[in-house]
Amino acid sequence: MLSISGLTKRHGPRTVLSDVTFQARPGRVTGFLGPNGAGKSSTLRILLGLDRPTAGTALIDGRPYRKLPDPIRAVGSMLDGSGAHRSRTARNHLAWVARAGGVPKRRIDEVLDQVGLAGAGRTRVGKFSLGMGQRLGLAAALLGEPAALVLDEPVNGLDPEGIRWIRGLLRGHADAGGTVLLSSHLMSEVAEITDDLVIIAGGRIVATGPLTEVIAGHATLEEAFFALTGADR
Amino acid sequence: MTRLRADRRRPMTLLRAVVAELRKTATLPASAAATAVAVLGPLGITVLNAFSVRNAIRSGQPGLVAYTSPAEAAFSAAPLGTIGAIILGVVVISSEFTANSPDAGGGRQITATLAATPRRLVVLAAKAVAVVLNVLAAAAITLPACLFVADFVIGDLATPDDLGPTAARAAGAALYWTLTALMALAITVLTRSGVIPLIVLIVNSSLVSVSMVLTHVTTLAYYLPDAAGMRLFADDPLGEFEHALAPLTGGLVMAAWALGFLAVSSAVFTRRDA
Amino acid sequence: MTTKPTRTAAVRLARTAAVRLARTTAAELVKLRGLPAILGTALGTVVTGAFLAVALASSAPTATDATDVVTHTVLFLQIGPILIGVLAVATEYAGRQIATTLTATPNRRLLLAGKAAAYLIVATATSVTTIVAGLAAAQLTLIARDRAAEAREFDPWPAAGAVTYLVLIGVLALALATLLRSLIPPLVGMLTVVLVVSPLLSGYTEHARWLPDRAGGLLYLPTTDPVLGARTGTIVLLTWIALTGSAAIAAFRSRDA
Repeated sequence: MLSISGLTKRHGPRTVLSDVTFQARPGRVTGFLGPNGAGKSSTLRILLGLDRPTAGTALIDGRPYRKLPDPIRAVGSMLDGSGAHRSRTARNHLAWVARAGGVPKRRIDEVLDQVGLAGAGRTRVGKFSLGMGQRLGLAAALLGEPAALVLDEPVNGLDPEGIRWIRGLLRGHADAGGTVLLSSHLMSEVAEITDDLVIIAGGRIVATGPLTEVIAGHATLEEAFFALTGADR
Repeated sequence: MTRLRADRRRPMTLLRAVVAELRKTATLPASAAATAVAVLGPLGITVLNAFSVRNAIRSGQPGLVAYTSPAEAAFSAAPLGTIGAIILGVVVISSEFTANSPDAGGGRQITATLAATPRRLVVLAAKAVAVVLNVLAAAAITLPACLFVADFVIGDLATPDDLGPTAARAAGAALYWTLTALMALAITVLTRSGVIPLIVLIVNSSLVSVSMVLTHVTTLAYYLPDAAGMRLFADDPLGEFEHALAPLTGGLVMAAWALGFLAVSSAVFTRRDA
Repeated sequence: MTTKPTRTAAVRLARTAAVRLARTTAAELVKLRGLPAILGTALGTVVTGAFLAVALASSAPTATDATDVVTHTVLFLQIGPILIGVLAVATEYAGRQIATTLTATPNRRLLLAGKAAAYLIVATATSVTTIVAGLAAAQLTLIARDRAAEAREFDPWPAAGAVTYLVLIGVLALALATLLRSLIPPLVGMLTVVLVVSPLLSGYTEHARWLPDRAGGLLYLPTTDPVLGARTGTIVLLTWIALTGSAAIAAFRSRDA
């Protein structure tokens, strides 16, 4: 379970997040929606221990990310694509992540195969297309066989086949009892994949709950989103 | 009629490209930093040198320093200006090739630049003009300021300098900086990354340059780009470099190197995929 | 975590810490190996070392001693470890690799320790190879010129000092790059200080001896300064490293990734 409570983040006079509170539960796919600059990435970065909150906590099964003994075996994450330096090969990237996370070497081939990069392990990341970089980022997230997945815009740049594949992957992960938290801008994708929704606008949570409850009273998720975030005004 | 208009458009394209490049250079933080190095670096070293000279003379031990003239105190700081020129020449190119988000598919500014000005020779020429104008502007501020500061600090204690030769050395230093910046630009076009040109050029702009080591092996090393131009601004009070090329010859040799590098990089830049 | 640590628990804790550091160091080594620029720098340093040794040994009129020749090349060779130190950090920030790094190793002190350890291994290997290759190249050149000194006792200390200096100056570059989170500024800054500012100032002010490279240079040129010696010079260089390093650690731990 990922529990975020009372999260506030200020950069000088600018408040990026104010009192953000929500949970992502095991067995469910939680979609995290909001316009650009609403605070999605900031929230995820604090959850992953990259940024420090001004106030509040972000816990993974009751512990902050930085206190997890083997973090990538508890939470698999992907922010902004591959997260690899462009001059290394895909395999080298996964090799050092595995070393750092205490993950056995055999997982490298397994995840390369799983994300459809089996033939591109020796290719340098700089030569990758956007979608391939995305797949490499996902491979690194899956490396430690984590119970929770935290993914920022996972379908960004993926081709139709890739989108279908990731849909199946995330559904399967949740059905097996795992936790999935993903952010996205693609309403139709989110409506198709998620069980629960969290909507953020201007650094504040404007709605949380099961998909059907959040949509209730609107024709589609997209209309609900615009009504809740006021983004169409 | 149409042809006339087309012909007229050419200088316009170059002018517009130069203005665009000047604006790009002015707004690039790295080029501001390079200009700061070119201005403040020589000034700082000049101040330190000038105070050493003054202290040495005042304490009655002028032998502690290699010279007692303000011009010498100022021009020995010129290598710092060369560093600024190198950084400027490198960053106007390397900033084009740096991926915004260097992840797969990250956009590079060169794509936008070439979309706006598809004629690559124009792009390169405009960049070169922008760099030259920047370096000359920095030199026009820095060198007189250094000379003034050195004269002010050392004052009446100094061995006086003749105006004519001093002005010639200042012009020589400005030329040395400009040619070095152009070589930096040209080499960066070839390497597309700033690291190699920065290392090679900084090493060879120093007092301890590899070219100087090689002059022990063969006097032909005085024809290497950095060594060729050294007498443009550096006097040789200790007579260490008797085989060094005279200012005019050396300046021409150095200019030939710079043009050569620019020619090669233009050829590569126009043929290569962006 | 809050239980009173028994002896076995303390031992286990220490062992866990050691395992963590070993694991992080190993990961950082894999990371360095994956960068073509690091391999290129290491090879380039060794080749340059041998080339310069041959050039100096074959030209300097008074050269009779291989050690003497090699210590004169250190001025240029230091570019190698400086570049390795800067690249080890700067590549994290060229793109978003730093996010991957910190999600895999969220403990920032542990990460920096692992990074420094990996740097030390690579830089030491590079420096030892470079100095040995330089000594061999210089000696062979001198023999070929019939200039080799008469079976004089080989003093290993200047060579060891040169290796130590090369490794340490790169640590300073690593710390500076960590502080600045970038490639060009720390690289230009280090190169300008050691290649331009320091030789310039040394001619005109005696205070230049306190610069990191001047002071550290006494490790391999032990008798060239009236105030500092090899030991005190090393302490001055280590003080530069400690100051820059503390600032870098404090910044790295407190700021957002």
